[in-house]
Amino acid sequence: MVWFRKIYPRMILFFGVLGPGIIAANADNDAGGITTYSIVGAHFGTKMLWVLFLVTISLAITQEMGVRIGLVTRQGLGGVIRENFPIGWTLFAMVAMLVANIGTMTAEFAGVAAAFSIFGISKYIVVPAAVLFVWFVLYKGSFRTTQKIFLLFSTFYIVYIINGFIIKPDFAEAVGSMFRPTVEWTGGFMIAMIALIGTTITPWGQFFIQSYVVDKGLKIKDYKMEKLEVYIGALITNVVSFFIIISTAATLYKHGIHITDAKDAALALRPLAGDLAQFLFGFGLFSASILGAFILPTATAYALCEAFGWESGFNTNWKNGKIFYSIILSVIAIPATVVLLPNISLIKVMVWSQDINGILLPFILIFVMLIINNKRIMGEHTNKLASNIVGGVTILGIIAATVVLLGYSVAELM
Amino acid sequence: MPYLSRILNSKVRDTADVVVGRIKDVLIKPAAGKYSPLQFLAIKAKKGGVIYLPFEAVDNFSHEEVSLKLLFNKTGAVAQFPDGLVCLKRDILDQQIVDLSGARVVRVNDLRIGDFQGATCVLGIDVSFKGLLRRLGVSSLDFLDFFKVNFIDWRQTQPVKGFLKLNVVSNDLSRLHPADLANIVENLNVKNAQKLVASLDAEAAAKVFEEMDAEMKKALVRQLPPDQMAEILDKMSMNDVVDFVKQLSEQERNVILSHLKMGTIEKIRELIEYSNDTAGGLMTTDFMKVEPAMNVNDVVAEIKRLSPALRSLLYVYVVSPKDGKYIGSVSLRRILIASPTQKIGKLIKRYAHQATLNPNDSIKEIIRLMTKYDLNMVAVVESTNVMVGVITIDDVMRYLAPKA
Repeated sequence: MVWFRKIYPRMILFFGVLGPGIIAANADNDAGGITTYSIVGAHFGTKMLWVLFLVTISLAITQEMGVRIGLVTRQGLGGVIRENFPIGWTLFAMVAMLVANIGTMTAEFAGVAAAFSIFGISKYIVVPAAVLFVWFVLYKGSFRTTQKIFLLFSTFYIVYIINGFIIKPDFAEAVGSMFRPTVEWTGGFMIAMIALIGTTITPWGQFFIQSYVVDKGLKIKDYKMEKLEVYIGALITNVVSFFIIISTAATLYKHGIHITDAKDAALALRPLAGDLAQFLFGFGLFSASILGAFILPTATAYALCEAFGWESGFNTNWKNGKIFYSIILSVIAIPATVVLLPNISLIKVMVWSQDINGILLPFILIFVMLIINNKRIMGEHTNKLASNIVGGVTILGIIAATVVLLGYSVAELM
Repeated sequence: MPYLSRILNSKVRDTADVVVGRIKDVLIKPAAGKYSPLQFLAIKAKKGGVIYLPFEAVDNFSHEEVSLKLLFNKTGAVAQFPDGLVCLKRDILDQQIVDLSGARVVRVNDLRIGDFQGATCVLGIDVSFKGLLRRLGVSSLDFLDFFKVNFIDWRQTQPVKGFLKLNVVSNDLSRLHPADLANIVENLNVKNAQKLVASLDAEAAAKVFEEMDAEMKKALVRQLPPDQMAEILDKMSMNDVVDFVKQLSEQERNVILSHLKMGTIEKIRELIEYSNDTAGGLMTTDFMKVEPAMNVNDVVAEIKRLSPALRSLLYVYVVSPKDGKYIGSVSLRRILIASPTQKIGKLIKRYAHQATLNPNDSIKEIIRLMTKYDLNMVAVVESTNVMVGVITIDDVMRYLAPKA
């Protein structure tokens, strides 16, 4: 097995380097992601592709900023905020992250429930089982292996790309809409648009990428490599998103089908999978959801503990790690409870949670922008003008969309 | 006596009732294991700029406003940052700090300032939730006094930022158990962890390294200079080094290895071939070997000489002086009760079946053998019967419970 020994370390190196890109790319397309992209395509056709195009650039730039802050400060975003902002602002940022993450976690459990609802299995069985499964894996510590398995599963997105070619959609039209801004001035459009932004660029993703480069011990000399990697990651994520949107646009939108549950969204895969479409979609939705469900509780707990100096890590005992474990348990239990409420629409939960992410995102990005433009923290690695423009436009864009959305909600109430 | 959070930003008045400015920071001289007297106040001057005012000029410090004993121009204030000092707000407040008494890492929510032997000093750090509320200006929320203030004695702490740059390390830090210290390093952010490990001497750092989790090791190896890293690896036990080096990428491995001694490199390259769950992968090559002709007295002298370099020493292994072939083992207990002139070769218990392991034996086989023969330590011999290492019960435990 000499060849294996020769190849194996190389493989490790390859996966090691591509780590954050692949994980971030896959985890971005979680339950909320798949559902939001499906709805965007099904309800608005290719009209929103220009948003996706811009968001790809924003994602690449914001993730790159996270990488740079991590490489320079060699600590997580929570820690950097705590050490450089008044404590009230720290609390504000961390609460924003906590709320957004609880929202995302709710989407993950809703995703699990929706996936199994395709096979007629009740959420009252599935969600508690998922809660136990997640807790068991986290606490018993086979996290790494499990994560790898689900990363592998979640390559299921490739089916959307193949599917996209089988449908033979009008690619010229699709690419054209990427550069043709179209806006429907309705509340529904705004909700879908903010969700689209909020599911692609997320507060937790910002925390995640920074911790990742810090924990891997990367240094500023690795910057070029990591930057490239983050750009590729952003591209991969959104190529998949692009194909989900054109798949649903070419199937559901064309026939005027609105998505009200997971079965509807699965219809988009019929051209490729025929009668297996539902099974395939259910499987993909489940693995995407559960992957996010593994990462979020611990990521949230580590970030909060870092900012406030509470003991963290699964090697601490219950007494010392009280707060750490409590955060993890809350981030699992609260979302699960929400999903178990009777008569709640799983699809709406998945989309609205992305809206919460989207609405909270500008606040986190403002912190990121303030940090990365601070010479005292970043030294010579502060932002260039181009990054500041992209960051600024992203922040202002989301805030503007949120204000318009609020306007519509108020108008509807009156 | 006041909290730092209450003092920051208060007005400073001199004896002519002129407002000099507002307090921006408080400077102390870092000293390990002592209450640190306040040295200077950093004042954001009314006219702009920052001035450093010697603390002796302060008359009353306990109020919201700080008053001076003298006219401002007689205080000896300087515009230059005084050398070798540490700022309480910039370097301590909101930073990570090591609580030596609890062997943990905490964040400083506030600092308690008070009198000690006639000097105004930092007495303790507040890490409590109550401290957070105070900082947020909402202490009144806790009118039922639900949360308790929780101070850590200043002398029992090791600040990281500022202190380690000036090489001020508390003795109590090196008195912590390596496992606790490793836990502390894991909880610090990578920047601080690197500073802390760099401040330890190679021997202490090696012990800490052995206890650290693999991820933190990998992160640190990229942060520490290769020569310093090599010095630490040199002091670590061989099987820990091998386990660690195995996880590095080929490129990183080569960089680190190139800084080690030739003999060590060869040994590592040899051991690296064994898989982690075999006897060869688990064993350590540091063990006590003696020749059969030595008498007990000489063996005891040899034990005394080599003991500091060996992690565990339960048995002495008797090997042939010619070719290094395994002859047998003698427990310390047997050596202890034997007569000093007895030949060590004669103390070996001889059984028909030799209870040793082969480097390729699986973990199952290791456990089976150690359990069957009630061994805490077992010799690993190659098929030619040359002894190459030992496996202790610790190695097996570490394999079975890697996260503990």
